[in-house]
Amino acid sequence: MGLGVVCGAAPAQAQVASADLSSALFVEPSRHSGLTVVNPKAVLSVTPNKWLSVQGAYEADIVSGASEALKGGKLSNVDIVTSATHFSDTRHALTGGFSIKRAATRLSGSYTYGTEHDYRSNAFAISAGTDFLQKNTQIDLSYGRGFDKVCTTAFSASDAASGRLALDNSQGCFTDDKKRASRDISLNNFQVGWTQTWTPVFATQLVLSAALQNGFLGNPYRSVVIASAGDQALENHPENRARGAVGVRGKYYVRSLRTAFSAGARLYRDTWDIFGQTYEVDAERYMLPWLRVLLRARYYTQTKALFWSDDYTGGEPQSGPRGQYWSGDRELSPLSSYLIGGRVQATREGRKGERILGLFLSFSGTVSFDLLKTNLRDFTLGGSAPDDTLALLWSLGLRGEF
Amino acid sequence: MKHLEASVVLKSLGLACGALLTIASAGCATVRPEQRAILADPTMQFDDQAADRAALEHALDNREGSTGGGSVRGGGCGCN
Repeated sequence: MGLGVVCGAAPAQAQVASADLSSALFVEPSRHSGLTVVNPKAVLSVTPNKWLSVQGAYEADIVSGASEALKGGKLSNVDIVTSATHFSDTRHALTGGFSIKRAATRLSGSYTYGTEHDYRSNAFAISAGTDFLQKNTQIDLSYGRGFDKVCTTAFSASDAASGRLALDNSQGCFTDDKKRASRDISLNNFQVGWTQTWTPVFATQLVLSAALQNGFLGNPYRSVVIASAGDQALENHPENRARGAVGVRGKYYVRSLRTAFSAGARLYRDTWDIFGQTYEVDAERYMLPWLRVLLRARYYTQTKALFWSDDYTGGEPQSGPRGQYWSGDRELSPLSSYLIGGRVQATREGRKGERILGLFLSFSGTVSFDLLKTNLRDFTLGGSAPDDTLALLWSLGLRGEF
Repeated sequence: MKHLEASVVLKSLGLACGALLTIASAGCATVRPEQRAILADPTMQFDDQAADRAALEHALDNREGSTGGGSVRGGGCGCN
């Protein structure tokens, strides 16, 4: 019943502005560590005429919790879990951008500056797209370039990796403090998307992504036990990583159920030898003309990075990948995860020539909840399985067009 | 769970994409503008609720070793 509302009820006058306010809450409970992230975001978009739109956005990541600053495995014989240290930090990000839209083509660009105590980022993104074959085919290209800086202890490139120390706090970062150094991270992201409508109720999308990363790609706070005597050193990752992914999704509307079903698969591969597979499904329908409900499920699995090991004290060859590099990153270990969640969205469209509360052409509110359970196959903290493998994510969004 | 061989999966996916591209380029799939009422609905958009999706992907990117291959805009109203 609600189908076609958006096209059919589009306001006669050109849209002047829209505001999006949203906030997400990510919680990963644990007895010793745990993580809480609050992610508020505000986006203001102004459309002075039919073909131009200008956007500005502010976003923050307010992170607090405790984490294990040392990684060792079953053989390390160190108490890691109870030595988790508390931390908190806030990342601020400001974005400015534009979109130009003509009959069958579109172009957009944006710049984002992000800052936190130990990390700075500058990112440019540009994308272009076109429709053809009576708008049955859409091609979108995008490119992103990032120039980031991360704070570390003041080691030099010639220092042996096994002698480098991890940060214990962010004091002195990005100042002239001699005990701190700033390391570059270069990021290049490419993406091509092909969207195809096949029937009045069926569409597919193919997305190819590639990313090139260069620079300090480890965690500056994390040490790894690298010798059976208990010697530890700053996590040491390769300085280059090339990543590629291909995703295919399909959407099909079942008229008898008045429900849109979606299924997708993604394959991922990188030069650190991680192979990831993602499979997801969702279903969304209008419960009322103004109320949509979506349910989703997702399964993910990945292999480990070539140099990843739960324990580097077990006699790995020094010339091999696990002798040259060491990591305490659980995201590089073999793992799988399950996600289930849902979203409810209520939308109110103002009648023609009328504004809601005398202000909005349309107004919508969104609430979502997702539960993520991760199965770490080999990762331990000194032989103990981490208990922070269940994550809960809530998000709330409000959008008004006026 | 035993992992599929990456090369086999990628090769199969490449063949499937090639087949889809061939069909699309042959122009045998055309949906006229007046048939787009359902395709234009928000529930049939690939990047609908991008903010909600961005928050989820932001969390997943920090909990998994892979990234990319997500949705881009698309679906298309075709109203103008």
